[in-house]
Amino acid sequence: MKEKAQVSERFREFKADLTSRPSIVLGMGLRGFLRMLSLKNQWTVALVALIWLWTLGFYVLLSTGDYPCENLGFWDSSEDFKRCQPLVYYNDLGLGGVRLFLVTLAAISSSGLIANDMTDKSLHLYLSRPISRLDYLIARFIPVFLLLMCVTALPNLIVYVNQWGEAGLEFDWIKNHKWLLLDILILGSFYSASYSIIGLTFSTAINRESWAAGAFFLFVYGSAIIIEIFHLMINDDRVLLLSIIHLLDIIGFYIFDTQPFFTAFGIEGIDIADIEVFGVFILIIGSCVIFVNWMISQMEANK
Amino acid sequence: MIEARNVIKKYGAVTALDDFTVDIPEGKIGILGPNGAGKSTFVKIALGLIRANSGNVTVLGEDLDRNTIDIRRKIGYMPEHDCIPNSMTGVEFLIEMGLVTGMSLQSATQRTHEILGHLQMGEEKYRKIEEYSGGMRQKIKLAQGLIHGPEVIFLDEPTSGLDPKARQEMLETINGLTEVSGTNVLLSTHILQDVETVCDYVIIVNNGKLQMQENVKKLMQRQTDVIQVRIGGSTEDFVKQLKKSGITATSGGRGLHIPYVNDKTFEQIVDSAVKSNCQLYEMERATITMDNVYLEVVD
Repeated sequence: MKEKAQVSERFREFKADLTSRPSIVLGMGLRGFLRMLSLKNQWTVALVALIWLWTLGFYVLLSTGDYPCENLGFWDSSEDFKRCQPLVYYNDLGLGGVRLFLVTLAAISSSGLIANDMTDKSLHLYLSRPISRLDYLIARFIPVFLLLMCVTALPNLIVYVNQWGEAGLEFDWIKNHKWLLLDILILGSFYSASYSIIGLTFSTAINRESWAAGAFFLFVYGSAIIIEIFHLMINDDRVLLLSIIHLLDIIGFYIFDTQPFFTAFGIEGIDIADIEVFGVFILIIGSCVIFVNWMISQMEANK
Repeated sequence: MIEARNVIKKYGAVTALDDFTVDIPEGKIGILGPNGAGKSTFVKIALGLIRANSGNVTVLGEDLDRNTIDIRRKIGYMPEHDCIPNSMTGVEFLIEMGLVTGMSLQSATQRTHEILGHLQMGEEKYRKIEEYSGGMRQKIKLAQGLIHGPEVIFLDEPTSGLDPKARQEMLETINGLTEVSGTNVLLSTHILQDVETVCDYVIIVNNGKLQMQENVKKLMQRQTDVIQVRIGGSTEDFVKQLKKSGITATSGGRGLHIPYVNDKTFEQIVDSAVKSNCQLYEMERATITMDNVYLEVVD
């Protein structure tokens, strides 16, 4: 009885020592990330492992063979490492890490994040906490972003370290290739952030996890195939901007300061004004953010 | 606890709150009103989830225009609808809600087990929420609102969808938990029994306007001094006749309400009925519940 009274007193006198908003958001994000990598999410973990194996396997194949730059056709073989090597190692490797499985991983990992909160309506509980709508979105963005960084930047960083090893672990090599390290991180962040935002948009728009994942995948891949066929018919490179994969790839090439190309039916160079590329990109990402914010504000207001 | 001044909230052409002004004291307060009266809108504005078109709201001394987010550290919220993730266990869910409010893992875990202890949940707290009954889900929903030890908890229709037994249990749980934790309560409901059971102060809202606010005990006391009369014939003549005897009748509920002074009032009513050629179908000192007050105010 005495013990019960003590518990009640403590219960009554309880004053929570609450942390700051950024810490809450970061904590939510990191917990979400760790949940994604837990064994409960077998498919996510399997995909991450597959992408790692694929990427590193590609690297082993490429690094043992010649894979010369002139094989790219339009490429000038006299270009120095900065013009050629990144394309070999980081974009063709990207066939495994970035292009092929990244979309699948983004679809699987992002589709449930907001959709599940909307379906079970726990979104209302989160938004009644001391966090803003934007805080909530950032908290849901962090897990996908970190997961995608694991398969975009991390394998390439290993490749970078390996290249450094092949160069004799010379410190000068690192100094000369700071730009490459930076580009790897920027490219990884760029792909991860873009796919995370688009994935979360589908998760919000179609608030059923499996449907959202399917729609995201079809939208990204389906539009790429349709656009490539369309490109053949009208032969105008600007049409490629309507495909997310091509748009992100083009900006990826910009990040590595290389000439954009695509490989639908043979390798073809791309000729589009920078302002058109970045304009379309900002329009798409901006629309996604505005849409998600609007959808959640509607939910807040309506039940 | 909460002050609202001239609050207007419109959803398109519909005005949910119309120049709404109220002072809500500390304690257990009920906001009563029919569906669509503006109760939930007011709760959401007080919580900072939606913004009013105009007017000013202060919660626990903090102006909501200046501090919409951080004020929620002092507020707990239990929404009306089911909003608990089925895939989690009760313990996991409450800890997560504690962490999202900004508590440390240790503190959230300890508080979770304390609250669940008060809710008398044993092994079932480790079961997935999808296996919980409706009553248990409501209790967990209440617990998440109290996890961080708020100064006030907003309860939006907490007994909605429960059978009578579960409803009674839920009301007892609300009373028990808020009593033991010393938490103020703002209970929004259209169920009169909930207000009678839990609250000591009631606010009645209709068509987005404040209709009445009163201490529940005083309200009941005042209303028991009424005789409810139902007559056949000309009500007008009957009322005139009563007036001659110095009695003012008011229409209310199913008939007329006549102030009870003493037992002689009954005789005066009978006399007035006879003189005005009216048939007296019903005459009884009203056993007033919140129903009478509510219907009177809302009608």
